[in-house]
Amino acid sequence: MRAAQTDVKSCCAAAYSSQAARYLLGDSFHPGGPALTSKLIRRLEVGADSTVVDVGSGPGTSALQLARELGCTVIGVELSPTSVAAATAAAAEAGLGERVRFLVGDAEALPLAAASMDGALCECALCTFPDKQAAADEFARVLRPGARLVLADVVAEPERLPAELRSLAAWVACLADARPASELSALMGKSGFVIKHVERHDDGLARLLKVVDWHLRAAALVAGDFLGDGVDQGRELLRAADEALRDGCLGYASILARRA
Amino acid sequence: MALAEQGRRVDRDEVFLEYTKSICPVCKAVVDAEVNIRDNRVLLRKRCPEHGRFEALVYSDAELYMRQLRFNKPGTLPLELQTEVEDGCPLDCGICPEHKQHSCLGVIEVNTACNLDCPICFADSGHQPDGYSLTREQVAFMLDTFVAAEGSPEVIQFSGGEPTIHPEILGFVAMAQQRGIGRVMINTNGIRLAKDRRFVAELARLKPDIYLQFDGFERQTHMAIRGQDLRELKRRALDACASAGLEVTLVAAVERGVNEHELGEIVRFGVAHPAVRAVACQPVTHSGRHLAFDPLERLTNADVMRLICAQIPEWFVLDDFVPVPCCFPSCRSMSYMLVDGEGVIPFTRLLAVEDYLDYVANRIAPDPAVRQALETMFSSSATPGAERALLACDACGIDLPDALRNIEQHFFMLVVQDFQDAYTLNVRQLMKCCVAEITPDGRLIPFCAYNSVGYREQIREQLSGVAVEPVVPNALPLQPLLQPTRYGSRSAPATSRNGRPLPATNIGRRLER
Repeated sequence: MRAAQTDVKSCCAAAYSSQAARYLLGDSFHPGGPALTSKLIRRLEVGADSTVVDVGSGPGTSALQLARELGCTVIGVELSPTSVAAATAAAAEAGLGERVRFLVGDAEALPLAAASMDGALCECALCTFPDKQAAADEFARVLRPGARLVLADVVAEPERLPAELRSLAAWVACLADARPASELSALMGKSGFVIKHVERHDDGLARLLKVVDWHLRAAALVAGDFLGDGVDQGRELLRAADEALRDGCLGYASILARRA
Repeated sequence: MALAEQGRRVDRDEVFLEYTKSICPVCKAVVDAEVNIRDNRVLLRKRCPEHGRFEALVYSDAELYMRQLRFNKPGTLPLELQTEVEDGCPLDCGICPEHKQHSCLGVIEVNTACNLDCPICFADSGHQPDGYSLTREQVAFMLDTFVAAEGSPEVIQFSGGEPTIHPEILGFVAMAQQRGIGRVMINTNGIRLAKDRRFVAELARLKPDIYLQFDGFERQTHMAIRGQDLRELKRRALDACASAGLEVTLVAAVERGVNEHELGEIVRFGVAHPAVRAVACQPVTHSGRHLAFDPLERLTNADVMRLICAQIPEWFVLDDFVPVPCCFPSCRSMSYMLVDGEGVIPFTRLLAVEDYLDYVANRIAPDPAVRQALETMFSSSATPGAERALLACDACGIDLPDALRNIEQHFFMLVVQDFQDAYTLNVRQLMKCCVAEITPDGRLIPFCAYNSVGYREQIREQLSGVAVEPVVPNALPLQPLLQPTRYGSRSAPATSRNGRPLPATNIGRRLER
């Protein structure tokens, strides 16, 4: 799937229409989509005069959504300079360049001053951070006391996952190091957060698995020869993930926490 | 006037949605109308001072109807208008300055003659001695009118009668192509395609799109809708198109109690057949000749979509159908899909189409170029291959990345279209209609006005020199008034012949002929 996207991009990276083709073949997804993001970010309870950090901001979609829907200033932090450049361009194009900025940075050492943020979002990213406790400590450091954090991520009971899903790192980084929601809550507690609310969104993940499967089928039609058996392998993993989801050892959860 | 017993107020049993204009289905006088929701059904009600009260089902899923309203794209002005506003909609067609949309699709009915005499034919065509057959000069003028109005028209459809039996049809196709009209369609029953190899070879050179009547697979269906069993001829016509490289849209006229159970099979068949790129499902238009029907139980787009979903649940859910925003969004819904070995992947599963085609919600469209491409796909002018708009790359001049060239062969289009009749006509929809009948006197008349208001009879009378009786829907409540016309449709002679005064209404008269 990656390969197909690169192929398309190399034709005409600047063209809107190839952008469309990219949407068609698969763009960035997260469980629950923008609708869930919208619901979760309202829980930050921030206004237009606030500044919110989006840690692991990727292509900037949720950061822009934060700015649009809450009217706040947003700082996206992302490890990949390519993503930061793309997200910065997207913000400018959306006319939000003034209010939404993106920085290259590591979640375990955020390039932000202590107690400088009024809210934080970390969506589908924590499970990719190697040192989760360090990341949680950083959230606590940059947030002012009383500020809220919304964390949304894939959760799992690793010892119950089938072997094929445990070795999934190369395919979907998210699943590889997913933890139970209780472990994430404990982690946040240790860093000085008070957990206010934990919610499961497993149906969002189930839907996402389906969406990815549809895109894999579309990708096979476009570039089947090029992708070889990658599509089949991917679909096999999706089936395994769907089964794990049904067994209850895989899911998607959100945690709302307050900086004490 | 006491409205309730014992002084208790009673609630109405319906939600009042809209006040509009329609016509009396009997005398065609323009009358006030209201649209209401009752039992989750959308109904249009009106009263003619002379002929009484009429009510018809417009959409059988009120919730879906309401959700669709936001897919309403601002209209585009044509380059030229043909008429002035004098009496108001729908009597000034067209196109008059109050019309809200240009014409995405133009229709030229080249003749009234047909090699069939179908029990269902909105054009009232058949083996008739007194019809008309357009000349090259007339068609040239009509095409020029269309080009003058549209600049670069997207699609022209040659219809009839049966256009393939017009001796000049190949010339007409060439004339349209010479004028730079994007796509040329022939709307046919397929008989000549099945029987005349030389004709198919000529078509193979011109490559028009074939819009093929295809109502189902059961003998009973063919007998009820076409009056004879055409199954073998349809098969041969399709095979001929496949060999000739002609792209086909299967067009099913769907009537309640006749063939609504065959919709799923028609779609499956279309997806599997090498010549077929699209399927269009149209509830039978109760204009011209048709079976007797109950206006309150007619099929609507919502029924057709639900039937398709129920008959192929492994392929479709209701959300896979997108209301088309160029016309009024409840008139037409479409779905695109990718076809692979496992079945189909509806396009809506890959891209959140509705995020781009919502023109009411106050939010920023993610990408204007994607919206524009989707507007080309989800349009009345969409013909098979419209997905190129999404895949083509304008900026670098390469029209299709190699990797995407494959995908185009796997696209399939599904259209659900409900046309209005004299019962359901609502000027709100009519004023944004983007399918136009082009007339030899240089007008572009919205398709549903042409069929319902009296324009069809007017034009046929002008062209054939033979008086044509005003057609009245063959509706069950009207049966005592109706008599057959010589073309097989129904008329209401008592009110149309005796020179009674025109009904005086608060808003208008009727089309004078």
